[in-house]
Amino acid sequence: MAKGKLIFISGGVRSGKSSYAEMLVRNSACGRKVYLASGRANDSEMAERIERHREDRKLDGWHTIEQPIRFEEALLNIGEGDAVLWDCVTTWLANELYNGWEQNDMCADQPGCMEAKWTHLQRTLTELNDKAELLVVVSNEVLDDFIRDELYMKWLGTIHLWLVQHSDHAFEMENGLAFKRK
Amino acid sequence: MQIIFGGAFNGKRQYVKENLTVGDYCWCEGTLPDTSAESAVIAGLEKWVEQQLLLKKSEVQIMQQINEICLRSTSSNYIWILTDMNRGIVPMDALERQMRDVIGRIYQFLFKEAKGVIRIWYGIPQTIKGADQDENLYENRG
Repeated sequence: MAKGKLIFISGGVRSGKSSYAEMLVRNSACGRKVYLASGRANDSEMAERIERHREDRKLDGWHTIEQPIRFEEALLNIGEGDAVLWDCVTTWLANELYNGWEQNDMCADQPGCMEAKWTHLQRTLTELNDKAELLVVVSNEVLDDFIRDELYMKWLGTIHLWLVQHSDHAFEMENGLAFKRK
Repeated sequence: MQIIFGGAFNGKRQYVKENLTVGDYCWCEGTLPDTSAESAVIAGLEKWVEQQLLLKKSEVQIMQQINEICLRSTSSNYIWILTDMNRGIVPMDALERQMRDVIGRIYQFLFKEAKGVIRIWYGIPQTIKGADQDENLYENRG
């Protein structure tokens, strides 16, 4: 199986990174357009917003997969030749790192828990990259601040470094402009 | 004197270790090099600044010490690894607000003094000062 293309896009809130990522997928002339969403609704406004976006994308011919945790399960629904947009790393990390907080049993507090999930994520992304024709990964710039949550920030840095290293192209978005860094 | 600049956990230290530190370098993490150090990497400056502020040092005194380091540095023997911390929301904590102000002004001073400044974005370098004028984006109108 030939390795597909991997593109990493990062930017601030409302920097236009999602639109740019969607445009890349739309222009890719691959098979299905697949939107792989990590977000999950915590209130009704969020649920409405998610629903509205899913409807908009459906009209535009997108297939949506919602996968807040257990990312590897999404692989089952990805076909060869698909163009996949994963939105986004920051949400996935929050879901996984703080998973279990309701039971007072957070992954972040267990030694080796996030390390195992990270190994798993790398494997899943590699498989996804092999299967899909195009994989566009979207993330956020949140590391230019005081250390607020060292564990979260350290993991996000690690993941971003890996993605940039493995990507064919990497973009930093600023107010709708895409700066090609790789 | 050179500066490597960028957000936290972006691979700045790794970049310096792999590309810049040939020979003997004193690695100063959260401290300033003493006068005997001919070559030094100064990292974690924000920790040093925090210490000074906790010791009730004034910004003038802090700047004085930074200036002394600059005076004894030559073109490449001192490398500063500076973490961009000033793009977040205004901190609730008064000490953090003060740190942000002091760090911001120190960075401005160091950027002015440095021969070269490289910004690191997840391991990828970009020269933002000392790139034969290519950093003057306003002139890139072609």
